[in-house]
Amino acid sequence: MKKGKRLRLITTKTIYHLMMLPGMFFVILFNYVPMVGIIMAFQDFVPAKGLFGSKFVGLKHFIYMFKLPDIAKVVRNTVVIALGKIVIGTFLAIAFAILLNEIHNKFFKKIVQTVVYLPHFLSWVVLASVVVNMFNLDGSVNKILFAIGLNKINFLGSNKAFQSLIIGTDVWKEFGYNSIVYLAAITSIDPGLHEAAAIDGASWWKRVWHVTIPGMMPIILLMGAMSLTGILSAGFDQIYNLYSPLVYETGDVLDTYVYRIGLVGRQYSFGSAVGLVRSLVGMILLLTANWLTKKLTDRKIF
Amino acid sequence: MKALKKIFVILLATVMTISLAACKKDNESQKESDTSKSDSTGSINITDSEDNSNASVDPFGAYENEITVTMGRQTLQNPKLPEGDTYEDNAYTRWVKNELNIKIVDEFEANGDDYDRQVSLAISSGDLPDIMKVTSLDELKELYENDLIEDLTDAYNTYATDYLKEVYDSYGGRALSNVTFDGKIMALPGTNTDSGPSIVWIRGDWMEQLGITIDEDGDKCITIDELEKVVKKFMEKNPGNAENVVGMAFAPWLTSGDPDGTYSINSIAYAMGVFPKTWMLVDGKVVYGSITEENKEVLRKVAGWFKEGLVDPQLGTRTWDDITALLVNGQTGVTFGTWHIPDWLLNNVRAMDPKATFDAYAIKDANGKVNVKHNDATAGYIVVRKGFEYPEAAIKIANLFYDKLVNTSNLAEEYPEVANYQALGVDGSTRPFNIEINSYTSLLDDYRDIVRCVNGEITLDEVRTTESKSIVQNVKNYTADPDNCEVVDWSKYHSRLKGVKLIQSLTDSNTFEWLTPIFPQTTSTMETNWANLEKLEEETFIKIATGALDVDEGFDQFVSDWNSLGGEQIISEIEEQINN
Repeated sequence: MKKGKRLRLITTKTIYHLMMLPGMFFVILFNYVPMVGIIMAFQDFVPAKGLFGSKFVGLKHFIYMFKLPDIAKVVRNTVVIALGKIVIGTFLAIAFAILLNEIHNKFFKKIVQTVVYLPHFLSWVVLASVVVNMFNLDGSVNKILFAIGLNKINFLGSNKAFQSLIIGTDVWKEFGYNSIVYLAAITSIDPGLHEAAAIDGASWWKRVWHVTIPGMMPIILLMGAMSLTGILSAGFDQIYNLYSPLVYETGDVLDTYVYRIGLVGRQYSFGSAVGLVRSLVGMILLLTANWLTKKLTDRKIF
Repeated sequence: MKALKKIFVILLATVMTISLAACKKDNESQKESDTSKSDSTGSINITDSEDNSNASVDPFGAYENEITVTMGRQTLQNPKLPEGDTYEDNAYTRWVKNELNIKIVDEFEANGDDYDRQVSLAISSGDLPDIMKVTSLDELKELYENDLIEDLTDAYNTYATDYLKEVYDSYGGRALSNVTFDGKIMALPGTNTDSGPSIVWIRGDWMEQLGITIDEDGDKCITIDELEKVVKKFMEKNPGNAENVVGMAFAPWLTSGDPDGTYSINSIAYAMGVFPKTWMLVDGKVVYGSITEENKEVLRKVAGWFKEGLVDPQLGTRTWDDITALLVNGQTGVTFGTWHIPDWLLNNVRAMDPKATFDAYAIKDANGKVNVKHNDATAGYIVVRKGFEYPEAAIKIANLFYDKLVNTSNLAEEYPEVANYQALGVDGSTRPFNIEINSYTSLLDDYRDIVRCVNGEITLDEVRTTESKSIVQNVKNYTADPDNCEVVDWSKYHSRLKGVKLIQSLTDSNTFEWLTPIFPQTTSTMETNWANLEKLEEETFIKIATGALDVDEGFDQFVSDWNSLGGEQIISEIEEQINN
């Protein structure tokens, strides 16, 4: 880029940059300043003594965390549930977006969209009671199972069914909303490509496979990589409202475990240590995903 | 740096408040309380401050200038307050204003566990209300060690009425010693009388309807077999005409550290000689009740019932509210709980079904005894913020509610609004301090007053407490017309003339076998490992009960895990504590 052009670019954009300032201020205030709190993870934080008066204890809380007897099980549950939600959720959202794109009746399309987006806006506190009522032993799902001659299953109390229930209900709640971004990706694909493929005799399946999906790929990769950062958080509010001691074995995730052990017992330092580890893992995964996509597809996320 | 710290604390508080979805009062009233706080300090600086703080030593003396006290209040979902009254502004707080010239402003209000979170939050931000309740001794200790609360020794010695001191003394020093650190009284403890056993509450109207007879000797003690018999009959005949009949429903945590634990299996465990979640000394050794070999048999019993269908098939996923709903819907007619559940749980049953009655039974062991344990002497603690100008205000409020209110014989004439609250059955949590300060024998003392007055042996004036007086009326209303009386009449009759009556008669007949547990302080290993051990216990027990784990294998594994994960260490730490 030539020097003169660059200078002009800056002057014409100056006004826009200035407009960004308030936003930047809030980002710094709310996203960077609180990071000072990270030092809590290395202290025995006592609120009354404050952040700068508490005793430093080095890696004590990290060592304690990895020594907790259930930590391996809890991390495994977290990863399984989170991965399940990401993989199945993404797949369904893509499939739904492709199918929705085929609907040409505008009115019908809007109705379908509204119906599937709706659950996203409901809180898990509310939805949990709906789920409980549907899936408990007297619930409608078990009535159907019973009517077709199958055994009743206490979904909320069975370690075999609980993870599927958590993943399934979350996917149901979110896939519609997640499909918005994929729908946008599809509409941005040049219709000429589709026409060309159709003229060459490609079937619908072939066109989806060779035109639509490759066209969506950058977005799919971006969304996939971004969701990887959340691999160690499996949705506190959902699980907290649905689990019980019966399903701790398969349903207890990092968030709920830390909540019970750390927050209720006011172990702030321990809580921050866990949060820090989670953020680090998320960051490493994101960087790896970025590096991998660059290597495999020659595209970068950022 | 200081500004940064402040910002951080505010952020932390905000983030925690939002993420916990706690019900903090809205900003506006927050601001209001802040300004009024500074106002009152301001006005005192202007006026002669000596007048206000050194007013003559009158335990009930009003402040010359109005003072504002900010408080943290533990509330109840449905306190039955009259329309328009709130926790902050009700007959009790207005009474405090009129009598003591103290204006109460609530800095935060929250229910049950949420309240503990609010207290945590307040401790975290270092911004305590002037007076608040904390629920555990550990919190009290933390507040003391961090120098956040005021020493109340002088205020207590100077201002507490003789009656109040007598009440505390009836615990033989156990009540005040719990809150005394380095010789200083740091809190006003709520007292905790013995609550008796976890009572088996059985639908009396159903038993009559189905002609079931148990407890043939009439001592109100039944065996576990008799309990089984009733449950089977109820399930078979479905007297509640319910869609899904359920036998016995228990809370997911199964056992309780309180002897009278509601919706717990305590009554069954105790009858089998097991005291779950209890620390005790056996032959000089510290023993934790849940890991004893006998507890395996208790779990075997419950697991057997579960398999047979006598226990709720959804055990473990059924929440507290779900169980209450089972009772209200008539799906089950047998439940377990403390003597006062007719006042706040079973009343819901009667509200739905005017014919419903409950009978109270205790479960006896093989020797015909009813096992029960003593409670710790204190529960709930009122603390005063370090630096609060009027620490004696806490004592004065206590004098008002735990002496004057109780001992005023003509309450209805002197304080009609307050008397009306008692008649309406407004919950005690609406008083400024949500604690009880009762003498050690108060439960049975009050019961005897009520019975003697109802029988005409003493006059209403001779009944000692105001609450008892209104209960006498409730009982009379109930006996006059059991089917059409108010729910509150039904409740008070059941809690006193069935619940407490059972405790009284078992005390009279010497049927109770009392255990005195030990109440250790939180040890260092407890601090780090206890939450985990508790989780292990609850998870294992519920799995054994529902058949997900084999009784023998699961329990033995549990005991060895429990010991190796810090349990053994904790036991030796407690032994050290006791020996010192």
